[in-house]
Amino acid sequence: MNPVLRAIRTRRVVRTMSDQPVAREQIEAVLDAGRYAPSAGNRHLHRFVATSDPAILRVLRMVSPGMIQRPAAAVTICIDQPLAVEYGFARTSPGLYVDVGTIAATMLLAAHGIGLGAGPVSSFSRAAVGVVLRLPEGWSPELVVCLGHPATEQPPPMGRRPSLSWRDLTRWVVRGPADEEQRADHDREA
Amino acid sequence: MAPPLVLDEDQALELLAYLVTAARTQVDEAAEYGPMRLLTAAGRLAAMIRPRASEGLQDVLAGPLGSVPPTAVPRTGREAYVARLDGICRELAEHLSIRFAPGCRTTVTPG
Repeated sequence: MNPVLRAIRTRRVVRTMSDQPVAREQIEAVLDAGRYAPSAGNRHLHRFVATSDPAILRVLRMVSPGMIQRPAAAVTICIDQPLAVEYGFARTSPGLYVDVGTIAATMLLAAHGIGLGAGPVSSFSRAAVGVVLRLPEGWSPELVVCLGHPATEQPPPMGRRPSLSWRDLTRWVVRGPADEEQRADHDREA
Repeated sequence: MAPPLVLDEDQALELLAYLVTAARTQVDEAAEYGPMRLLTAAGRLAAMIRPRASEGLQDVLAGPLGSVPPTAVPRTGREAYVARLDGICRELAEHLSIRFAPGCRTTVTPG
């Protein structure tokens, strides 16, 4: 299988991490991957805040109820709101948040690619995280990518549900007369 | 005799921060996260106090409360989820009764 596709299929959200520290070079590799993530208009309106300081990580976890794991490092993806406004984006513009997702996905894959475990956390107090990370005025923290070495045992995934294939998630839009298979699909849905 | 102190200031502060920030995040989160956040807080409190807890309480803390996965939500298997929580509530209530109201019993109402 193609190594990129294999990485996509084998990546998991890691919610239990060991005490083993993460090397600075590994954090930088994840940050560099984030810089290569697709960015609307190639504008790069997002900023990253990284830390591997155990005391800061401890406090960050205290104000982040969604942070189940105890990460050895964390990268917080922020939107530089003044910069976004300067480019003409409204604060609620979906594009800004789509980019947070693509950056996070790229970082998660990068971490997996270099043998780290990673997990995204979006459940945290924006106000508190802004203080803990000493964010500059106007930077809104949107997602924390936790990094560490996966522990042997992981909690079960949230809300087990039937495994969905891409077919379950996809509809094709085509032109021309429906063939037999499409007609049958249509009849079943009707 | 005063009950033993089982939580230090740092631990209490950590839990306080979790509860306050969870209240804020819960405003924007799915309702099913509510019990999960509360159970996470309970699990963390249990882990904090267990080393200094009295023997009877240690048994309770080592029971089903500590075995709830931190990712459990009442999305699917709602009945089993509720049954599990009810079981934990009963076990806690049993411990509370023994500890604070020993000898509690029922009697037949005099006719």
